Amino acid sequence: MSGHSEDPVLEESKRFFTFFNLSMLLVAITGIEIVIIYVRAFDGPVIITVLSICSVIKFVGVMTWFMHLRWDKILNTVLFLMGLVIAVFTFFAVMYMLDNPPEVKEFSVTPLEQDWEAKTEYVKGDYTKHNDSYYVAEIAHQSGDTFSTQIMLDNEPVNSWKKVEGIPHQISWKVSTGDMIEINSLKPGNPFFHQYHPYPEDNIEGSKISLLAESASTEDFRIKVRSEAFWVENQ
Amino acid sequence: MSEASAHALEHHEPETSTGIPNKKVLMWAFLGSDCMFFGTLISTHLIYRKISATVGGNTLDVRDIFDIELTSFSTFILLASSLFMALAVSAIHKGNLSSTRWMLFGTIIFGAIFLACQVYEFTHFVHVPGNELTLSSYRGEPHVFGSTFYVLTGTHGTHVAIGVFWLIGWFVYSFTGKMSTADALDIECCGLYWHFVDIVWILIFPVVYLMEYAF
Repeated sequence: MSGHSEDPVLEESKRFFTFFNLSMLLVAITGIEIVIIYVRAFDGPVIITVLSICSVIKFVGVMTWFMHLRWDKILNTVLFLMGLVIAVFTFFAVMYMLDNPPEVKEFSVTPLEQDWEAKTEYVKGDYTKHNDSYYVAEIAHQSGDTFSTQIMLDNEPVNSWKKVEGIPHQISWKVSTGDMIEINSLKPGNPFFHQYHPYPEDNIEGSKISLLAESASTEDFRIKVRSEAFWVENQ
Repeated sequence: MSEASAHALEHHEPETSTGIPNKKVLMWAFLGSDCMFFGTLISTHLIYRKISATVGGNTLDVRDIFDIELTSFSTFILLASSLFMALAVSAIHKGNLSSTRWMLFGTIIFGAIFLACQVYEFTHFVHVPGNELTLSSYRGEPHVFGSTFYVLTGTHGTHVAIGVFWLIGWFVYSFTGKMSTADALDIECCGLYWHFVDIVWILIFPVVYLMEYAF
């Protein structure tokens, strides 16, 4: 790489023409970059390809001749390229992480306001409404003719329903991919917040029953999904 | 080769194990690390440009505020300043102090013009009626574009400003009568820095400005 001639002063003088020619080339290439934008005759991918090629040519031109790497020892090039290569790999790695944006396929918030019914099978955890109050089933049972929080099992009274404070809501979601899911209420008077890290991170399905202060719908809630550096939400 | 010429090219640099002056190795190592710095800034801008492509429900279009003629002009100015810088380094290697001084002056002037264009551009962006681009908003709507744009181009502008001050230092020094070919290596390092800010702009100009017009 060290290309010194017999007369270094003469060599420096010759470089004047190299520098001048390179400078004219850089101006010409920049002109091409601007013209290709102005004419608007090409598609986006073509423009990006041309701009990328022009930038690489200019970059290499300045690096090789203006920065003397053409005439310097290889160590200087290695030092510079180490940083450059890491920068380029960082760029592509981050762009790759963003290639798989999460998608919220389904999201719903539904109040569980089904009235209590006689002679019906209930399972543990079922919610029902009776006289403007909400109850959760404590055991699986068949309801009687009238509503009661207790039933007789083996001649022993057993709690069948437990009154709950608040309105039960079923919150369900289906997401393509993500490493963190965050659901929150948009109404300050009706607070709700749930955050978790799903595993596995693909084809995520989730559901949660929560007691809220007020009746709410899907529009009152927000789901936010994070995948790598990508954040998406249902709004 | 004349005796004067040989003397002019004698830089009295101590021997090093690499055969390259330590200052130069240090400068190249710094430029390599600065590559990573700008690499992350450019990546950040592109990523947020991709994932935050809308503002207030509409597609983000900054072409209304970009003044591509002004930015193209400042790009040509920076390229021309690189030629002056290369000639300044060449002149000091040849021992031509007068030429070195005027080439440094040319680089300073062109660098200052570039900075003036950037200051005008930023001021215009922040105050353009109805299209204000601030650090945290665009047209009054919260958006990240201003943050990544100003941090990236502002960091580059800061590098240019540092380069201009460095060059002014050399320009003033050239009037003291102390400047000689022994300073060639230091001026060369200054030149390396200046060319580096030039190649960073070579990337920023198409990536940040021209690509906005591609789609």
